[in-house]
Amino acid sequence: MKDILNDLKEIVGCRVSASLAERCCYASDASLVEGLPDFVVRPENTQAVSRLLRFCSEHKIPVVPRGAGTGLAGGASPLQGGIVLDMSGMNRIMEIDIENLQVMVEPGVVQEKLNQALKPYGFFFPPDPGSSAMCTIGGMIAYNSSGMRCVKYGTVRNYVLDLEVVLADGRVIHTGSKVLKSSAGYDLTRLFVGSEGTLGVITRAGLKIQSLPESRKLVLASFEDAETAGQAVIKIFSAGINPSACEILDKTTLQVLKRCDSNLALPDDGDVILFEVDGTKNSTAEAALKIAKICGPLCKSVRVASSQPEMDAIWAARRLVGAAISRLDPARTRIYVGEDVGVPIKQIPALIKRVSQITAKLDLPAMKYGHIGDGNLHVALFIDVMNEDQWERLRLAADRIHRAAMELGGTVSSEHGIGLARAQYMPEQVGEEALQVMRSIKRALDPLGILNPGKLGLEMR
Amino acid sequence: MNLDLKEINRCVRCGTCRSVCPVFEESGWESANTRGRILLTRGLARGLKADSDVLDSLNTCTTCGICTDNCPAGVNPPQLIEAARRDLVGKGLVTREQAALSRNIFESGNTFGDPGDRLAWLRDRSRLNEKAGYVYFVGCMNSYRRSETAARTFDILSRFGATLLSAEQCCGSPLVRTGFDAHRFADENLRQIKGTGANTVITSCAGCYTTLKNNYSADLEVLSIPEFLAEHIFELDLEPLDITVTYHDPCHLGRHNKIYEQPRRVIEAVCNLKEMKASGKDARCCGGGGGVRSGYKDLSLRMAKRRLQDVPEGVDYIVTSCPLCIRNLSDAGAGEKAIDLTDLVASAIR
Repeated sequence: MKDILNDLKEIVGCRVSASLAERCCYASDASLVEGLPDFVVRPENTQAVSRLLRFCSEHKIPVVPRGAGTGLAGGASPLQGGIVLDMSGMNRIMEIDIENLQVMVEPGVVQEKLNQALKPYGFFFPPDPGSSAMCTIGGMIAYNSSGMRCVKYGTVRNYVLDLEVVLADGRVIHTGSKVLKSSAGYDLTRLFVGSEGTLGVITRAGLKIQSLPESRKLVLASFEDAETAGQAVIKIFSAGINPSACEILDKTTLQVLKRCDSNLALPDDGDVILFEVDGTKNSTAEAALKIAKICGPLCKSVRVASSQPEMDAIWAARRLVGAAISRLDPARTRIYVGEDVGVPIKQIPALIKRVSQITAKLDLPAMKYGHIGDGNLHVALFIDVMNEDQWERLRLAADRIHRAAMELGGTVSSEHGIGLARAQYMPEQVGEEALQVMRSIKRALDPLGILNPGKLGLEMR
Repeated sequence: MNLDLKEINRCVRCGTCRSVCPVFEESGWESANTRGRILLTRGLARGLKADSDVLDSLNTCTTCGICTDNCPAGVNPPQLIEAARRDLVGKGLVTREQAALSRNIFESGNTFGDPGDRLAWLRDRSRLNEKAGYVYFVGCMNSYRRSETAARTFDILSRFGATLLSAEQCCGSPLVRTGFDAHRFADENLRQIKGTGANTVITSCAGCYTTLKNNYSADLEVLSIPEFLAEHIFELDLEPLDITVTYHDPCHLGRHNKIYEQPRRVIEAVCNLKEMKASGKDARCCGGGGGVRSGYKDLSLRMAKRRLQDVPEGVDYIVTSCPLCIRNLSDAGAGEKAIDLTDLVASAIR
């Protein structure tokens, strides 16, 4: 180990640590998946990553790339020791190219910081996960993350034009170029998006950007139950309205949000949908009115948020609600399992019903919220972590929720990824043959299996 | 192990604290941010050995509390970290710097280990310990290092009938923040305060303020200088100054005790105020608190330098109400531009 440490120092200088304290801090992401790395390395440039991977290939040392460690599937947890490669220090915005509608960034750039830099130009990078204040672009690409506005703008996958990737043997490739479209061969860019660090290490990314809308409006509608709320959503989409966000908050979520900010003017009860529309002042006013009109006969109450600060406060609270559940019951902690299922939009009411039945039967409190506009439901289960029986019921609930989503034609993960937490569902989720193709790709790019081993269900037989 | 596992378990490791921790901003290593420290605290509860790296992780927290204000789960990390430090100190696990700081205080009653007279700055001692409505609690920094500010503060406060303690001791803040038991100092200071008959203690140090207010067990009214001056500013004969200043919120006045509005009211009665880039509850820490200045000076000054980048263009002074902040900001490049709120007010008195 000491020899390896010296060799690593040779490559990255003092940006390597073998300290037990540091390794403990890099043992997991925000999921329950843990594993102790032997080293943590914080590279500063592509050259260092390349040299490091070549070294790791030669010595068959596992390498687990990591952004801000905000992942919820154990994607950044080192299951077989080796090196955790903390990419968050490579955080420069290399180029803002407004004329070509794109930016070039290093993977450690934080989503919110990128948008702060783009704002003066009147542009933004739309994918906006709840963790946008801390998550890195590299992590977002590796997990094809999205967020509240992807219902209109699409996920990260729709924005990546080019990636600089260091392959397992240290070779450096580019997967695309500056052009906004290309028909030149296999789409390697999209292969690496969502590959969870199993195929290569992203060291630079060219991203498409969007102009900021002139105006945004937020409509809050409260429904008797989630099923009716789901019907309203379907009617709104069918009427040709394209909301920039469409979020459902159940009764428990409303209570938590109010604990976070008692001044939030949210409905007192019911299942609430937040519809956001963006565009010109006229178009958003018209769309908000239309939404209110369609919801009218179906809902208990509907109103348009009165001001930008009110909208900002509601979205700020909504972004962090997932982690805020213990404000409702300090004795319980949110455990991220079964938290990211998705189904075709039409099946959302059925999914909500199934989740409610599952959690009621297991006597587990649950908060349900999410991106109803694209069928993604976040289920927040919270337990007393000192209680073994509750842990057992929690695991059962998560498994049943995952299976319910698949039975409804959906996915075990809409935006958080597979990692290890959901690896067991991969054969059923994508099919054995498709999984074999994925394994072939993995073998072609990482024949020694050093990149993020144990993830994505690739090694299960 | 006296660590509060329930509180530790409230942390869902979302990493929100990562985006605001001023120490992490300088270091980049996960062990230097709040989430890392909580993970290590949890590790300690599970039997992790407290080696020097663990001590460095826990002891580099300035306890600025910006993580508390931003934590969606409602965790109070400075409380957890101070508890972990207490636990380790109880087991004799301290850094050399922690040991030196505590030795200074236990042996001399002040943070500097200075054997000199704490009231050397005071010319007229006739009003010491006399019966009074208010006690001005000077604090170690103002007594030994910023005695002109101490004299100006007492000059103003004595107009309102304040007295001083004849044998004031360190309030215990550096001990409490770094994990030591400070009850001996609390008891002694309280005994003297009671002797004056005063119900109210006024202090011009944010560290003393939060300690007297939140760590002393007695039923004591504690006021910070900004609170007192905001209440009485128009009783002073002031001539407004034609200058512009900015205000740096000390963490232990602002985030820890929500004193945001009063210092601004005082400044605006005296001169123009231009806010820093990050202010109020979002104010960046100067890097000096929680024992970080004494234990990790370079790191502490790097944070102070970054804080100075928040100072707006065209201001004459950086006003604050904490001598530790003044020292750190001065040493990081602000020099004489960093002044105490009382210094500003005193210069406007006719």
